[in-house]
Amino acid sequence: MLGSLLSGLHFSLINMFVSSRRRAGPGRGGARAALPAVLPVVLVLALSPAGFAGPASSGSAGPAGGPPGVRPNGEDGEPDESRFLTRIRRLTVEGRRAGEGYFSPDGREMVFQSERAPGNPFFQIYLMSLETGDVRRVSPGQGKTTCAFIRPGSGDILFASTHHDPHAVQKQKDEIAFRESGRERRYEWDYDPTMDIFVEERGAGTLAQLTDAEGYDAEGSYSPDGAWIVFTSNRDMFERKLEGREARLAEVDPSYFAEIYRMRADGSGEERLTEVPGYDGGPFFFPDGSRIVWRRFSEDGLIADIWTARPDGSDPRQVTDFGAMSWAPYVHPSLEYILFASNKLGFSNFEVYMVDVAGEKEPVRITTTAGFDGLPVPTPDGRGLSWTSTRHGGEGGQIYLADWDHEAALAALGAAPAR
Amino acid sequence: MLDLRRLAAASLFVGLIAPSSAGSAPAQTEDELRADVAVLTGPGTEGRAVGSPGAALARRYLISELEALGAAPLPDARELGLPFGFLAQVDDLGSSLTAGGHKRFGGDQVRAFAFSETGEARGELLFAGFGIRVPENSEVRYDSYAGQDVRDRVAVVLEGAPAEAEDGTLATLRRHASLRAKAAAARDRGAAGLVVLSEREAFDPEDRTAPGFDIAAPGSQGVVTVRIDRAAGERLLAGSGLTLEGARRELDRGDPGEARLLPGFATLTVSLDRVRASGANVAALLPAADGRLAPPWIAIGAHYDHLGMGGASSLNPHGGAPAVHPGADDNASGTAAVLAVARAVAASPLDRPLLVAFWSGEESGLLGSNAFVSDRIRPEDVAAYVNLDMVGRLRENRLTVQAMGSASVWPSIVERANVPGGFDLALSDDPWLPTDSSAFNAAGIPTLNLFTGTHPDYHRPSDTPDRLNYPGLARVARFAGLVARRVAAIDPPPEFLRVERAAADTPARASMSVYTGTIPEYATEIEGLLLGGVMEGGPAEKAGLRKGDVIVEFGGAAILTIYDYMGALEAVRIGEPVTVTFLRDGERHTVTLVPTARP
Repeated sequence: MLGSLLSGLHFSLINMFVSSRRRAGPGRGGARAALPAVLPVVLVLALSPAGFAGPASSGSAGPAGGPPGVRPNGEDGEPDESRFLTRIRRLTVEGRRAGEGYFSPDGREMVFQSERAPGNPFFQIYLMSLETGDVRRVSPGQGKTTCAFIRPGSGDILFASTHHDPHAVQKQKDEIAFRESGRERRYEWDYDPTMDIFVEERGAGTLAQLTDAEGYDAEGSYSPDGAWIVFTSNRDMFERKLEGREARLAEVDPSYFAEIYRMRADGSGEERLTEVPGYDGGPFFFPDGSRIVWRRFSEDGLIADIWTARPDGSDPRQVTDFGAMSWAPYVHPSLEYILFASNKLGFSNFEVYMVDVAGEKEPVRITTTAGFDGLPVPTPDGRGLSWTSTRHGGEGGQIYLADWDHEAALAALGAAPAR
Repeated sequence: MLDLRRLAAASLFVGLIAPSSAGSAPAQTEDELRADVAVLTGPGTEGRAVGSPGAALARRYLISELEALGAAPLPDARELGLPFGFLAQVDDLGSSLTAGGHKRFGGDQVRAFAFSETGEARGELLFAGFGIRVPENSEVRYDSYAGQDVRDRVAVVLEGAPAEAEDGTLATLRRHASLRAKAAAARDRGAAGLVVLSEREAFDPEDRTAPGFDIAAPGSQGVVTVRIDRAAGERLLAGSGLTLEGARRELDRGDPGEARLLPGFATLTVSLDRVRASGANVAALLPAADGRLAPPWIAIGAHYDHLGMGGASSLNPHGGAPAVHPGADDNASGTAAVLAVARAVAASPLDRPLLVAFWSGEESGLLGSNAFVSDRIRPEDVAAYVNLDMVGRLRENRLTVQAMGSASVWPSIVERANVPGGFDLALSDDPWLPTDSSAFNAAGIPTLNLFTGTHPDYHRPSDTPDRLNYPGLARVARFAGLVARRVAAIDPPPEFLRVERAAADTPARASMSVYTGTIPEYATEIEGLLLGGVMEGGPAEKAGLRKGDVIVEFGGAAILTIYDYMGALEAVRIGEPVTVTFLRDGERHTVTLVPTARP
């Protein structure tokens, strides 16, 4: 590399004569500034996970505020993430942001969402070969999509999409115009009522529509045998007449009506699994199919916690009790613990945590790097961890992958104090 | 031989899932890299300084390795080695100063600066303090020549700037206290010559190198300029009531003082030898999968030169005594990695021919790559250029990938290459880098630079082969190969994106906000400022300036070198028209340029 003396001159000269088209906008990345404890819905959505990949299947879509009493961002003496995570590598680069990466059962592929389709500012679904690095778009390219999952056995790819909304393209143009206007929402999840669950049948390359209820149907994932799908829907809001407080809530927070449902892989046999007021979402099966895990927001949307239940919704159990926004749960293949994200350390400081499956002990913090860290997903062999992070300093989240020390995780969980 | 396609398909899945095989490359590649680095840093290479026998030895090795792969010369070349000339240094052939009949200085006591005019200057001696002139629009008022007629006299000034001036003032004064700035100040006042009073006791009689040489601006500053040693300085002042220490003490607090005549009529004679030398790049072509050698090519390269036994760019802490600077990381590492890519591509060709290049003279100012880009190719011959500079110190799995903004395809390509690559990427858009990729960027070619970060051994004799991370180097080489493979598959070639240099990186200077939109050419010996280009839509373009024009006057100030231009920019204001005189095809033209605020 060119030496300091000369390069100093070159730099100062280049600096003087060549200008900058790019400039850091004020306030960008400033989402970590001190925030009031409670914020209006849209502002909270705008600010919380600093441009992370998307809240839907496990996200903070509900209204929420910083619970009083949480510690601000900062050091709390936790050991460095390198005790669990080594050989960290960045998996996605292209596009404004990416997230929600989920592995095929053999670990050879990852399906994810990314804002990279030309002319479309919204997420589309992509499939990455973890062998060659080849990437192809799965979703149609129009409208909004979210929350894909690969079906065990067949390799079919499930995702939620608004592409059959006649206004889908206009919404894209509106969003592009909005962004070009210089104003920018940090994030807004609008629970588009035209969103339905589709599946790409591998080999055939055709799309089948699995849900058609009015309302937001999304956040779907398969059972380990590929026979069942659990998903999230706010169809309840459209299926009955709302009055009083519920009618007002439907205006400002359609996620309040979101509940967990299940159906067969062909879309038949839809069945509602949760009945509690407030946003229930982001469900996944345990790796042995014995239970499901999801996050449940409080009725006022201020906090969220991790819950598990039998696949028919019976025997619900609360696993976390942080008084914070704990979401994006995923069960490790060992069935020993659940990985999730929480802002326990401060309103906009999301980190990845883990907790024993029964929730008998205090959760253990995993990530310790500045920036948003969330949406953890272990590799199928349990020796790797993928998650979404803004640790590179960009404004949007991208997907990372690291080697995961399962033994160190078990030891740390064993040493954690009882809850 | 390393086959990247096979690797991607077979071994990477294992690397992804199993921590034990953490992204490992085949041991064979690692062994080859070790062997390459050992030769490049081994006996006889002596730090591979441009134009040296050590560099020639390293070059012979690189050529023989490429010939073993069946690589072909460029279409217009017969050999893989491609020489280029450059101004290596300026030697003082024996400058002298006389003051009156009895004060004669020469030999060890006088040294002309490399930027001095050659010839003779005669006149009265005028002592002018620090010899600093701050442009009039500055808040700091300082002019060592105020109220004095300097014309046809020989100015005598102290080195440096007032040490005890107030902080804000001092920073401004220092900016105008470089030797070149002092020479320009004296020249602009019409001085016949300039004598700088050095604090040094004596100059090395063996070393005739003229100080102040800068390859980026090798031309003359336009006035006969020397420095004399301490004893000579005292004698020159003798009889005037001044001493070196007394004068300095009086002026150190920030008062410019009053210029005054010294006894004696001076004759100042400067004789310089501008020593030209030659270095050589290595460039070779490997055919595409269909056997084609015709452009457009994908290019990959690394500089193979380093600092030799030290020199101005060395950070050697041991008193600067000459010592071999092996440059194992900088840049035997990148050189070896490019060889590894060449071996892999020879075994499994790309969709386009691969131009493999090894540059010399990088450490002296991108001499080799600049010469290559301007003399050996047309920009459209190269679809994209991948550069490797300092890639042997992979730590914490962190690979820096720079110049991402130079083509829209890079994020997509880097993402896909990094799935098998497996790095924690640090990405930056900026293609204006202190390495050879800048030469290609300036020519409008998409570039990408790989870098594993700096370290305490940078530019020191301790940058040794044993300190390299060879498994990491093998992974960087594989990643570079995957990038080359993917960019070669893009048809038509990727579109170049011009990235402007971020103003946020610039030092806080008032003048930095003034924007003229000129792109100077460096390392020319032309008198004036040769424009390598003008920014689209910028003030220079609007004024009618274009690439190839030579600015000789700017806002009334004579422009002989880029330093003059920098000084002249200090004196202009946003929105106030400036008269610019320039040469185009030998004709003198004058236009009006209106500087704007930096966009």
